[in-house]
Amino acid sequence: MRQSWHGIWMGLTLAMMCSASTTANTGSGPDSWIGSGVPITKPEWSYDRAGHLLERLGFGGTPEEIEQLAAMTPRDAVDWLVDYGQVSNRGVPEFDESGIFDSGMEPFPRSRAEAVQRARDMGHSMGIAVKPGGDRRYQHVVNKYFYYLRSNRLENHRLGQYWAQRILLTERPFEEKIALFWHGHFATSDDKVRDYRKMARQIDLFRKQGVGNFRNLVLAVAQDPAMLVFLDAGENVKGRPNENFSREILELFTMGIGNYTENDIREAARAFTGWTNDSLAFVVKTELHDEEDKTFLGQTGNFDGAGIIDVIMAHESTARFITKKLYRYFVATDAPPKRIEQLADLLRQNNYELKPLLKAMFTARDFYAPHAYSSQIKSPVQLVLSTYRKLGVTALPGVPDFHTATESLGQKLLYPPNVAGWEGGRSWITPATLVERGNFAKQVLFPDIGEYLSPDRVLTQIYRDVGTKLNVGLDITSATVVGAASGNSMNMMSSSDMMVAISDEEYNTRYGAYHGTIMAMKRVKPVLRVPAAIDLVGMVQRQGLATTSDVVDHFQTRLLRLPLSSEHRDVLIGFLTRELGTKEIGAAISYLEEPLRMLVHLIMSTPEYQLS
Amino acid sequence: MTTHIFSRRPRLSRREVLRQGLSGLGISAGIPLVFGRAVQAMTKEEKPGDFANPERILVVVELDGGNDGLNTVVPYGDDAYYRQRPKIAISADKVRRIDDHFGFHPSLVGFERLYKDGKFALVHGCGYDNPILSHFAAMGYWHTGVPIAGEKLGWVGRLADKMSPEARENLIVNVASQQSLAVRSRVHSPLVFDDPSRFLRVGRYEQTPLFSVLTGADGSSQPALNFLSGVASSALKSAAFVRDAWAAYSTPVNYGLELPVSQDLRKVAALIDANMPTRFYYVQYRNNDFDTHVHQVDLHARLLAYASDSIHGFIEDMNRIGRGDDVAMMVFTEFGRRVAENASGGTDHGTATPVYVIGNKVKGGQYGKPVSLTELDDGNLIYTTDYRQVYASMIGEWMGVDASTVLKGNFKPLGLFG
Repeated sequence: MRQSWHGIWMGLTLAMMCSASTTANTGSGPDSWIGSGVPITKPEWSYDRAGHLLERLGFGGTPEEIEQLAAMTPRDAVDWLVDYGQVSNRGVPEFDESGIFDSGMEPFPRSRAEAVQRARDMGHSMGIAVKPGGDRRYQHVVNKYFYYLRSNRLENHRLGQYWAQRILLTERPFEEKIALFWHGHFATSDDKVRDYRKMARQIDLFRKQGVGNFRNLVLAVAQDPAMLVFLDAGENVKGRPNENFSREILELFTMGIGNYTENDIREAARAFTGWTNDSLAFVVKTELHDEEDKTFLGQTGNFDGAGIIDVIMAHESTARFITKKLYRYFVATDAPPKRIEQLADLLRQNNYELKPLLKAMFTARDFYAPHAYSSQIKSPVQLVLSTYRKLGVTALPGVPDFHTATESLGQKLLYPPNVAGWEGGRSWITPATLVERGNFAKQVLFPDIGEYLSPDRVLTQIYRDVGTKLNVGLDITSATVVGAASGNSMNMMSSSDMMVAISDEEYNTRYGAYHGTIMAMKRVKPVLRVPAAIDLVGMVQRQGLATTSDVVDHFQTRLLRLPLSSEHRDVLIGFLTRELGTKEIGAAISYLEEPLRMLVHLIMSTPEYQLS
Repeated sequence: MTTHIFSRRPRLSRREVLRQGLSGLGISAGIPLVFGRAVQAMTKEEKPGDFANPERILVVVELDGGNDGLNTVVPYGDDAYYRQRPKIAISADKVRRIDDHFGFHPSLVGFERLYKDGKFALVHGCGYDNPILSHFAAMGYWHTGVPIAGEKLGWVGRLADKMSPEARENLIVNVASQQSLAVRSRVHSPLVFDDPSRFLRVGRYEQTPLFSVLTGADGSSQPALNFLSGVASSALKSAAFVRDAWAAYSTPVNYGLELPVSQDLRKVAALIDANMPTRFYYVQYRNNDFDTHVHQVDLHARLLAYASDSIHGFIEDMNRIGRGDDVAMMVFTEFGRRVAENASGGTDHGTATPVYVIGNKVKGGQYGKPVSLTELDDGNLIYTTDYRQVYASMIGEWMGVDASTVLKGNFKPLGLFG
């Protein structure tokens, strides 16, 4: 063993000394293309540029899919992606709901305290009656409260997985990509919304209106139930406006800071008063709407929300703001100011129709210029799903868990970190997340099936303990005390501990959480825990690859936009040759899969793989 | 790879354990060079004497979302407080009294203890001119220590740059999933991690030597690739140390409920316990949690309990491991909230906010002039202490670095340390 390692190190050193012929990067255009609005021509179109387009406007694809785009004209390729409404998408199923709701659960209380208060006031809460006598009369109410919290969370996780599955199956990659962009832009989290149905409708709105008219999209979002809940619209009433929504619409959705005053925020909030939701429907409560004049951005009138949005759209900063955000997401983080002005003009000229802007952005030489091509650090969702698409995986793997994987890399669908969404770019990368990206690759190629615990069916230790204690016959109070016998030298009881201990007479919170979690697990449909179906040997055979260097080059082309240095290419060829005991693939075909997986894991662990 | 390196022999110094553990790993598991180099780098950095106050550590805790200062340090002696907050005010008989005028929120058991022990400095009314009420802009001002947009480096980052103009590994640690602007530095790469137990490249025996080779290319024409290569090298050097420190650490001290904030502070404690050469630790109470626009009473009580329990636990833990005198902690938020409650039983974005500085060497008590609840600017508090005065204390009085260059101006320190 020692000896062979010595051999490897010798091999590495040698490989680094003999620099092989470099593979020219044909993808990136010349520097003169930076900022150029001139459309790219058919002779300038190539496999690599088609691959770049598919990666940015979608989630990448197999070499066969990229070849298809490369065979079109660049204009047709962009049209095919952006005019997705015309592409049939029958292979994509609907979301298969578990059915967690039952009657009496809406409107859902905002807190456990409110759930109990409602039960005190009315004798029932969330469809559960208060026990007329006996111990813990409110326990079933509290159980139901936690049941809904936990089941909605699990169901919303399933919704996120459904979205990921859609991305793997879709014939309309840009529909999902633009929805993801708007999800980050109008960032709404189910942590606060607590209703997967509202989340599902919001994402669907982004699919339906994602390439429509920006003004209409902002208006639709301002009337979207998930957003209304997320930014406390129900609290925004005549006489006592709540500024949460109006602040964010100005600062984050349309104009950016510096273009309006605190007073504009207050006036806009007045215009949105009374806008709220009744379950899944937008409603205006006219009695709560402020009918007086408002002065907003220098204009005075009896504006409502739509009126405010029209004033915003008339402001010169708005087109620039949204154009720059789109540019930085789809093209490059370094946005040439002149190019932004050109594109923002285009948006204004087209009365905020998004398609002309998007098509101009994606067909221009600028999109293929060095500052753009393979300059982008993939988001975690992009990394995970493009990995599957590039490897031809069409069923979302259950191992590794999609959310666990993306969350440990810094992104979780339907749970943006705050109303500003994900910062993106270099902020995705820390020493720890870069390590984690390599480990994700490992989990895809070598899934831990033997040790795997399904996150939608695992109780945390606290609740496992509660269950164990109940099963051996302890009463609820004793079963829910934590750490009493652990011998920890607690010289003070912390406030947090005291809060859990309170009101055990009327109900026990920890027991309610335990019980509700179990109920939720029974009701919510389980997630299939099947690893990715990957057949690397099949890929090698179909391509007719003869030598280890052919194989390394094939997987570079399949997986990377920016090729490895020739030294690193040689290192990988050396690695594969050693593992196979030969350079000839034909001789090693019967035991090829495992070494190929190690090779692909290594390629996917490189810094180069993080770029698109 | 995942075998337990440490038998828990408590009397062996952590440094010894780590050194032995890592070199043992290098021999027995056949992992070449990389980790060995990491250890050498660590030990070289540990030589004291290069800096003023070389043993001192600054821990910054950020309360995300704009903590309601008036319901944290309650001015129960002021009728205006009760007039402005008929529904959400903390009644005088519930507060944990500090003096005849102020009391801590009932949840703040930990803060009250620290205050009574004389380890807690309460700085009133921190803010700056022309306050901004946006989370992101305001947090940016606090992060950079420059209350205008556009400063690219964080105040902790600039402090580290001033302290050591040459790059040092692991001078700054940010426990987070994303790096904070506060620690962005010109010369140092902050070590940013979230879950130390996962801070490990996993792979087959045959693959692991290649991990340290395939680290991108320095000097590529693609700047993003150069950036990634730099981070990859930094990860190789630090991952094992952090992971092993965390694995070796356990504490009997109560940090309150198992929440991200208490866990994050324990990660800091583990690294300090392992003699990591870090001088700056940055921790966030994450996810904008303190943004209490609606029905804040219960929620805010919980948030304060979690924060104060874990902070109290951390200070106690530092004393347990004998580093209590070396650590000072600064706790801040991006703004306070409006004086009047809103119609939803919550509070909207406001301006001035108290800042808390905690540690054995802190001269406990109150600093700065309390804010007025009657003379307001459009319903908002008028600040009395420039927040950079607190920074000046942390930079100059605690870390022994010239504050005026770091802060690009002269701000009078508050005399917070004895």
